[in-house]
Amino acid sequence: MGAKKVKVKINGVWRQFIVDADRVLLDALRQDLHLTGAKQSCDRQGQCGACTVIVNGKAARSCLTKVVNLDGAEVITIEGLGTPENPHLIQEAFVLAGAVQCGYCTPGMIMAAKGLLDRNPNPTVQDIKEALRHNLCRCTGYNKIVEAVQLAGSFLRGEGSPDQLRTKPSSEPIGVSHLRPWSYLKACGAAEFSADIIVPGALELAVVRSPHYNALIKGIDTTIAELMPGVVGVMTAKDVKGTNSTGEMMADQPLLCDKHAAVLGAPIAVVAAETREQALAASGKVLIDYEIQPAFLNPAETVADDAPQIHDDQPNVCYTRRQVRGDAEEGLRPSAVRLDQHYFTQMVHQAAVEPEAAVAYLEGDGEEAQLIVIGRSITIHHHAEVLQQALGWDNIRYIEAFCGGQFGIKIDITSEGLAGAAALHFKRPVRYIPGLYESFLMTTKRHPFWMDLRLGADRDGKLTALAIDFIVDNGAYTSIGPVVVDRALEMLSGGYYFPSVSATSKLVYTNNAWGGAARGAGPPQVNFALESAMDELALELNMDPLEFRLLNVLKPGQPTSSGQIVEEWAYGACLERLRPIYEAARKVAAEYNGGPIRRGVGVAGASFGVGSAGDISNVAVELEDDGSLTIYASVADPGEGNDAMLTQIAAHVMGWPRDRINLVTRDTELTPNSGESAGSRQTYMSGRALVKALEDLKQAMKESGARTRADLVKAEKPARFLATNKVTLTGLDENGQGDPYDSRVHGVQLAEVEVNTETGEVRIVKMTAVVDPGVILNPLAVTGQIEGGMDMGAGWALREEYVLGQTKDWRTYKFPTMQTSFDMETILLESPRKNGPLGATGVGEFTLMPTAPAVNNAIFNAVGVRIRELPATPDKIRSSLAGLQRA
Amino acid sequence: MTETGPSSNAAKWVRSASGKDIPLDADGFLINIDDWDEEATRALAQADGVKELTEAQWAVIRFLRAFYLDQGKAPLNHKLKAGTGLSMMELETMFPGGIKNTAPRWAGLPNSRGCR
Repeated sequence: MGAKKVKVKINGVWRQFIVDADRVLLDALRQDLHLTGAKQSCDRQGQCGACTVIVNGKAARSCLTKVVNLDGAEVITIEGLGTPENPHLIQEAFVLAGAVQCGYCTPGMIMAAKGLLDRNPNPTVQDIKEALRHNLCRCTGYNKIVEAVQLAGSFLRGEGSPDQLRTKPSSEPIGVSHLRPWSYLKACGAAEFSADIIVPGALELAVVRSPHYNALIKGIDTTIAELMPGVVGVMTAKDVKGTNSTGEMMADQPLLCDKHAAVLGAPIAVVAAETREQALAASGKVLIDYEIQPAFLNPAETVADDAPQIHDDQPNVCYTRRQVRGDAEEGLRPSAVRLDQHYFTQMVHQAAVEPEAAVAYLEGDGEEAQLIVIGRSITIHHHAEVLQQALGWDNIRYIEAFCGGQFGIKIDITSEGLAGAAALHFKRPVRYIPGLYESFLMTTKRHPFWMDLRLGADRDGKLTALAIDFIVDNGAYTSIGPVVVDRALEMLSGGYYFPSVSATSKLVYTNNAWGGAARGAGPPQVNFALESAMDELALELNMDPLEFRLLNVLKPGQPTSSGQIVEEWAYGACLERLRPIYEAARKVAAEYNGGPIRRGVGVAGASFGVGSAGDISNVAVELEDDGSLTIYASVADPGEGNDAMLTQIAAHVMGWPRDRINLVTRDTELTPNSGESAGSRQTYMSGRALVKALEDLKQAMKESGARTRADLVKAEKPARFLATNKVTLTGLDENGQGDPYDSRVHGVQLAEVEVNTETGEVRIVKMTAVVDPGVILNPLAVTGQIEGGMDMGAGWALREEYVLGQTKDWRTYKFPTMQTSFDMETILLESPRKNGPLGATGVGEFTLMPTAPAVNNAIFNAVGVRIRELPATPDKIRSSLAGLQRA
Repeated sequence: MTETGPSSNAAKWVRSASGKDIPLDADGFLINIDDWDEEATRALAQADGVKELTEAQWAVIRFLRAFYLDQGKAPLNHKLKAGTGLSMMELETMFPGGIKNTAPRWAGLPNSRGCR
C-alpha cells in the first residue's frame, strides 16, 4: 500500500497526515507535531504504556495505533489535557498524591487514568489496576498512582478540590509534603527528556554493536554503509581523538572497540545519517570481520589462576578486599549453634523506564567551539571531565535533561559519550536515540554475588561471629566494581553486633554484562545473605526471628563490622515498633494452615551508611535583585525529589515562602560541583552545604540590613555565598577496619505473602516498613522512596533477572506491574541525625534492602521452603516443595 | 576461598616537612581539602619524586586552588588554559603523570572520581 492521506483532530485541531501503512501515532505526534509528552520506552511493543493517549474517548497505546486507521478520529494527548499553569484535575491529583517521581511514565499514566475516569468516575482499586495494567512505573511501586486516580475521581465527582490539599508557599517548610517544584512540568508532559529535544538539522545516529559474547575485531569495512541513502559518514575508534575510554577506576571500557569486543553489544562503529531509519539501515551494512573467542559468563570459569584472561592487560581477579575484626574462626568454634550456607543473588537491571538518549552539538567555531552534551547524567561535572579526556576536546558543557529514572545507571557515561564523539567528528548536531534493547546492552547491571556465609551464636542466642567469602561477577568492564565490594564490607554486619568478623572478596572479570551502581550497590546483596541466615539461625535456636534480631541489635558504643563505634543506632527502635504489627500478622497467617494457599510472615532489616569517607559537596546561594534567592547546585533529581529538598531547606533556613526560592541545578557552566546523585547522599551532603551557604548569606544580610542584592552591593558585601560540606573520615584500612560513614539510615520490613503450594506462585499481600530517616523534610517524598524501593526489592526477590542476550524487553525482564503490586504501609520514626541538614539523612537506596530477605523469610514461614538463590521463582518453590515431600 | 591480599582502596598518608601526617584517599588526593598548604604540596610532590616545584608549576597549583575555592569545582580544560595562559601540551608536560593526574592532587583539590 502506498501513502494515504488522513485527517485527525488532535487536541481540538484538525491535522492532515500523509502516511504509509506502518506509521504509528506515537511517531506522528512526536516527530511531525513535536508533541513529545507521549513517551517511548518499550521499542513500540505496547509493553510500557508511556505513550498512552485518548483516541475517540478511549485510552490507546499510540505506539500500536496506526495513523492510517485514524481518519476522522479525535485524539487527546497529555498536552491537550492541561498546562503547568492550568492543569487538569487528574494532573493535579497525580502531583498532590506524590505519584510523580521521575515523571517519564506520568503522561501515559494520566491518560490511561483519564480513559478510565471518563467512563467510571468512581473506580475501585481493582478497576484502576485493570485499566492501568499496561502502564509501567519503576519509581513509585504503583500505590501512589492508584491513590492519585482515586483522588482524581473525587475531584471529578466534585467531592473536594486541589485547593483544599495544596499547601501555601508560606506554610511551614519542613515536615510537610509540599509539591515538588518540577512536578507540574512532568505531569503536563512539558518536562523535556533527552529524546524530546529537537535540534533542527541534527544527524541521527545508529551504533554497530558486536553480536558475539567475545570476539577479536580483525577488520571493519564501512564502504557499503557509507554509500547508503542519507548516510553522512561512519565513525570508528580511530576517529575518536581522545583516550576513547570512559573507564574511570580502570581504563577498560572503550567508547568504540577497535581490537577486542569483550561483551555482547560492545560498540564498534557509529553511523550518522539524516534520519534514524537511514542510520539503522546503513548500520546493518557495516561489515566487521570477527574472530570469535570462547566466552566465559560465570566467574567460576575465570577466577582460577590458569583461566584464560578476559583482558590482556588486567588479571581476571581485578580487585580483592578483606575485612578482619577479632578472630572469627575462634568465635565460631565454640558456638552452640552454627550456620554454614551458600547464597546467591542474581544479575538484575536497574530498569529505569527511559532509554539512554543523548544530544550533542558544537556551539561556536574552530578549536575553541564548545561541545554541548545533553543527557541524563547524575554527576554532570565529573562526566564533563571524563568526556574531555575520552573525546580529546577541551571545551565541554554538560546540560542535564530531565531524567526518566536511573537507579545508579547514570553514574556511568552511556549514550552521551558516542553522541559527543559523533558531534565532534561529523561537525554537525547529533541525536542518539537508541531503543530499549540497545539501552540494555550499553548500561551496567546489579552485580551477581556468590556468598559463603557462616554465623555462630551461643545457647542464649547471642551472635558470636560472622564470616563471609564472596565472589562478584564484574562482567566485562569495571565501572565502580571496587566501590561495590567496599560498600558491601562497610555495611556487612547490618543492624547487628558481632564480636568478631572475617570477610574475603574477589571481583572477577567475565564476558557477562558488567556491573555498576544499582540502588544500594553491594550492601543489598550481602544483606540478603545475612538476613536470610539470621532467620535460619533463629530456627536452629528455636527462637522467634524478630526477638533473635532484637537480642543482637548493635548498641551505641559498639563497633560495626568495620570497627566503627557508633553514636546512634535506631535499628532496635524500628524492630520494637514493628513488633506488635508482626505479632498480629503471625496470628493471621497461622489461620491459613489448610488448603493449597499458605500464608507466611517474614521480617528483615538493614542499616545503611550515608555520607562516605572523603565525600564533598559544594552549593552556592545568591540573593537576587527582586529579593528572591537562587540556589546553584549540581544536584540531579532523577525522581527522588531533590528539587523539593533544596527549596524546603532554603525556605526553612531563610524563613521565607518557597516561591522566593529559585533553582539552577542542571548545567556545568552555572553550578558548583555538588557530586553525584547516588549513594543516598544529596540530602545529607548537599542539604548541609546549602544550610551553611544560607547561614552565611543570612549573616551578611543581618549585618547590613540588606533585603536585596543591591542592598548587599551597596554595603560592599558579596551577594553570592559558596559553602562546602565534606566528610573527613578516612574510610577502611587494608583489614577493612575504619570509619566509612558519617550517618546511617535504619529500617525493618515485614512481608506478608501467600504461597500457592500447587503452582509455587507467591503473592505479596502486604509490606510494612518501619524506617528512621532522621528528621523528615517531605513525608510524601520519603514514603515515595520507600514504596518504590519495596516494589523493586520484591521484583528482585521473586521475578526479575537479566540474562545477557536473552532479556530483550520489559516482558522478558519481568518488569513489576500494577498486577504484581501490593499493599504497603510505612511508619516513620524521626531521631534527628547530628550532622544531617536540619537532622535529616538519606533514604533512597536503603529501602529495597530488607525487602528481598523479608519476602524470602515469609516464603519459608508459609511453606517451609528456604530459597537461597534468587529469584524465588515458582519453579524453584515447586521443586523445593517436592523435595520436602520426598524427604 | 583463599585469603585475599590487601585492599587497593585503603587510605594512605603523606608526612609534611613539619611532621604533619595528612590523610589521602587511595588515588592520593587529600581527604580533607582544608589540610592543604604549600607544605602539603611539597610533600605530595616529593612522594611523586619531585624535589622542588618550579614557579610555573606553583602558578598552576595556585590557579587551581583559587578557582576551586571560588567556583566550587575544578576548572575544565578550556578554563584551565584561559586561566594559566598555557596550552594543554605545555600543561601536560609540566607535571609528572600529566596535568589531570597530578596538578589537582598537588593543589589539594578533592578527587573528582564519581563514586566513593
